[in-house]
Amino acid sequence: MKVLSVTDLSKTYPGFRLQKVSFAVEAGTVMGFIGRNGAGKTTTLKAIMNMVHTTEGRISFFGLDMKENEGAIKQRIGYAGGAVDYYKKKPISKLLAVTKTFYDHWDDAVCSRYMKLFSLDENKTPSELSEGMKVKLSLVIALSHGAELLILDEPTSGLDPVSREELLEIFRHLKARGVSILFSTHIISDLDKCADAITYIRDGQVVYTGSVDGFTRGEGLEDAMICREKEAFCEKLAL
Amino acid sequence: MKNLLCKELRLATPLLTFLFLGFTAMTFIPGYPILCGAFFVCFGIFQSYQNGRTDNDILYTVLLPVKKSHVVKAKYAAAAAVELTAFCLFAVFTCVRMLWLSDSGVYKTNVLMGANPVFLAFVLLIFTAFNVVFIGGFFKTAYNFGKPFIAFLVMSFLLIGLGETLHHLPGLGWLNELGLDHAGRQLPVLLAAAVVYAAATAASCRTAQNRFEKIDL
Repeated sequence: MKVLSVTDLSKTYPGFRLQKVSFAVEAGTVMGFIGRNGAGKTTTLKAIMNMVHTTEGRISFFGLDMKENEGAIKQRIGYAGGAVDYYKKKPISKLLAVTKTFYDHWDDAVCSRYMKLFSLDENKTPSELSEGMKVKLSLVIALSHGAELLILDEPTSGLDPVSREELLEIFRHLKARGVSILFSTHIISDLDKCADAITYIRDGQVVYTGSVDGFTRGEGLEDAMICREKEAFCEKLAL
Repeated sequence: MKNLLCKELRLATPLLTFLFLGFTAMTFIPGYPILCGAFFVCFGIFQSYQNGRTDNDILYTVLLPVKKSHVVKAKYAAAAAVELTAFCLFAVFTCVRMLWLSDSGVYKTNVLMGANPVFLAFVLLIFTAFNVVFIGGFFKTAYNFGKPFIAFLVMSFLLIGLGETLHHLPGLGWLNELGLDHAGRQLPVLLAAAVVYAAATAASCRTAQNRFEKIDL
């Protein structure tokens, strides 16, 4: 069963085009969304979350159209676009207290557990946290309402190696419980440890979407991506 | 929607917005353009937009499990909540000044606008200007509020000027009369302003919702 289906997503900016991006995330799997900086990863994820207005394309979660069921769909998914970048001077406790009123399945016990696990103090304000801790706070919010699908934009960047490893462990744990995860990253080594599928985007176009093995063809994930990027660069150079 | 309105009041609206409701008491100042009180109430709401931009409020709200269009609706609802609270205060103070203090010497010799239903009508028109010109203008980008605020500033002072001028024109002296003798002519003016406020705010909200759908955050 597909938890997320993206079909022919297009968006035009001056100097950049997202062209007919299509891929799907299966239930209970982890998909890595990879590509170099500026390839269109964040734009795609924002478009999926209806934060960017697309010129064409269809996005559906759990078989429901995003545009028509936005509120209901967001109850079932968690999104973290990097570090918490809002209400930086408000106590975390207040931020959580207001946020939880919007979710039907918010679990205070789960929230407290992740707060403790990430050593986050709810009496602090986000401005008092390091970038890595802000990412963790963002993840706490995404994880506390029993989301069936997590969409995470560069969740591991800014984290120290130990926290990164802990986060990947959490991903594995969530996956075992049937939660699907789509996360973008340019730290390819993170995917070796947990991804079932890869969607690789270059210059606003999906070049590959499918199993990890199909992408690597026996190489390491990082080597496979560098190799493909190098081929594309050499083609451009020859032109 | 209820959650969003609570969020607006708990997170996005600063204390200053509520403190600025105190400017409704300007209704009692004799020999002063008391319509400025309505402008200051709007200025208080404007503070929440300043804070909101610093706090990335729009981004936070869009990430919540709500429809994107409801984000806009909540902003209008929050502004309307403050405006209608202010209107109730203006109405109470107007009744006190118009009915019980109308014989007071300072109000009798007042050449500027007095507190009566026509004054309340102009209060609603200033609130309408804020909703249409400022909030509507803000949602063209969901970020820039400088130009919309200046446009509202000009509009509100034109309305204040109009309110202060009209009753000096021949035949329109009744616009500034106190007491209940002219209520028959003054109350329809207030009613008309209320209709304009409701219709223009609703139309502005719909336009802003459509614009906001196309904005990239």
